[in-house]
Amino acid sequence: MGTMGLALPWKARIASVPRERESRVEPSEQFAGGQNPAVVDAITEDAALAAGCRAGNLQTYERLYSLHGVRMRNLARNLLGNLVDAEDAVQETFLKVQRSIASFRGQSSFITWTYRILINTCYDARRSRLRKKEVANDDSGGMPRPEPRAPGAHPSLRMALERALASLTKHQRDVFLLYEVEGFRHAEIAGMLEITETASKNTLFQAKKNLRLILEPPRSSAAEAR
Amino acid sequence: MMNVTCNDRERIFEGGAPGEWAALEAHSANCPVCAEGLRVWKSLSVAAQEMRDYTDSPSLWPRIERALAEEVVRKTQRAQRRSWLSLLSSIPLGWQTAVAGAFVLVLTISAGWIYFHRSNRIVESDKSLLKSAALENVERAEAVYVQAIDKLAAEAKPQLENPATPLLANYHEKLVVLDSAIADLRAQAGQNPSNAQLRHQLLAMYQEKQRTLEEVLEARQQ
Repeated sequence: MGTMGLALPWKARIASVPRERESRVEPSEQFAGGQNPAVVDAITEDAALAAGCRAGNLQTYERLYSLHGVRMRNLARNLLGNLVDAEDAVQETFLKVQRSIASFRGQSSFITWTYRILINTCYDARRSRLRKKEVANDDSGGMPRPEPRAPGAHPSLRMALERALASLTKHQRDVFLLYEVEGFRHAEIAGMLEITETASKNTLFQAKKNLRLILEPPRSSAAEAR
Repeated sequence: MMNVTCNDRERIFEGGAPGEWAALEAHSANCPVCAEGLRVWKSLSVAAQEMRDYTDSPSLWPRIERALAEEVVRKTQRAQRRSWLSLLSSIPLGWQTAVAGAFVLVLTISAGWIYFHRSNRIVESDKSLLKSAALENVERAEAVYVQAIDKLAAEAKPQLENPATPLLANYHEKLVVLDSAIADLRAQAGQNPSNAQLRHQLLAMYQEKQRTLEEVLEARQQ
């Protein structure tokens, strides 16, 4: 690869943050809504959520929202490109969970099942929007044009990444968003996208390789930089 | 610590074990190419954090809660509608048979009642047919009666055309008035054949004409 630089201000502005892959935090622990993650048993929590939702307990749905609502909304926003559609998709997901909880057999975790519903709901919304031609002249194969967000620490970096993500295949984009943005593990992503764990790993590698190529500056400018 | 080279870098990116990652980090400390490659690779993950926006929307949960509550209400209403059907299945088979038998019995009685009343209606309509037949008889008898009177009129005609006495002249005028009245009544009876009142008036006129003609003929004999 050589001393490749990206056409982004990463080198100057972002410190390299080593990722401790082996100590990656469980999503359900990471988003425990203020509770002490150490005392939350993820499996018990998952089973309790499933049982409460099956019983039609609205407080359990509220708990599910407090644990995962913001992440569901963020994922839907990255899949759909705007907050209005994202919030609609999250609401629809809760309704679908309520309607079909009786058919949940516990073959995957309840949270994985819920996110699978959310992702499918986003796919449906995207297909429906394409059918209605609401996204005219969209050459990104279904990837929505992201709406402006509140400025973060590196807005230019985020915008460049969003544009680059639009060039990936749908599968690569989804796996990248789920793993790198939302922090799910490959086992969880496999359950959500109904693929194997190995396929999830390979797809992520291909996604990142493609992103690196897209974001890489031309060789000449890289040489000048040296 | 295991040993890795620059050639191992992409393989470790694809699916390296934690030990291999640690070895690559160590290798990168002395290899600027791998250090840059590792930094760029990790930067993709860092950039991905920029796409996280975990600020809560205060209106989203109330909206979802409302939708869930509405769905519960709809579900309850659907269940109530279905409960009528499920009630039937909860009844023992013997009772179901009895209910079905009673239903068939009610149906049979209803059908019999409808059939009986329809038959009565047919009888009533038959009566109206008889009425039409009676009317035909009346009209036939009336025609015969008119012919008989016309014969009387033909016999009396010579006296009436040249009345020899003032009495015959009066009879003539009376018969002209009666013929005119009969013609009017016949016209009205033609429009409304079932009007019994008209028929009675017509019959009275014919009877009066008959009596008048008989008086004319009696006056000729005298």
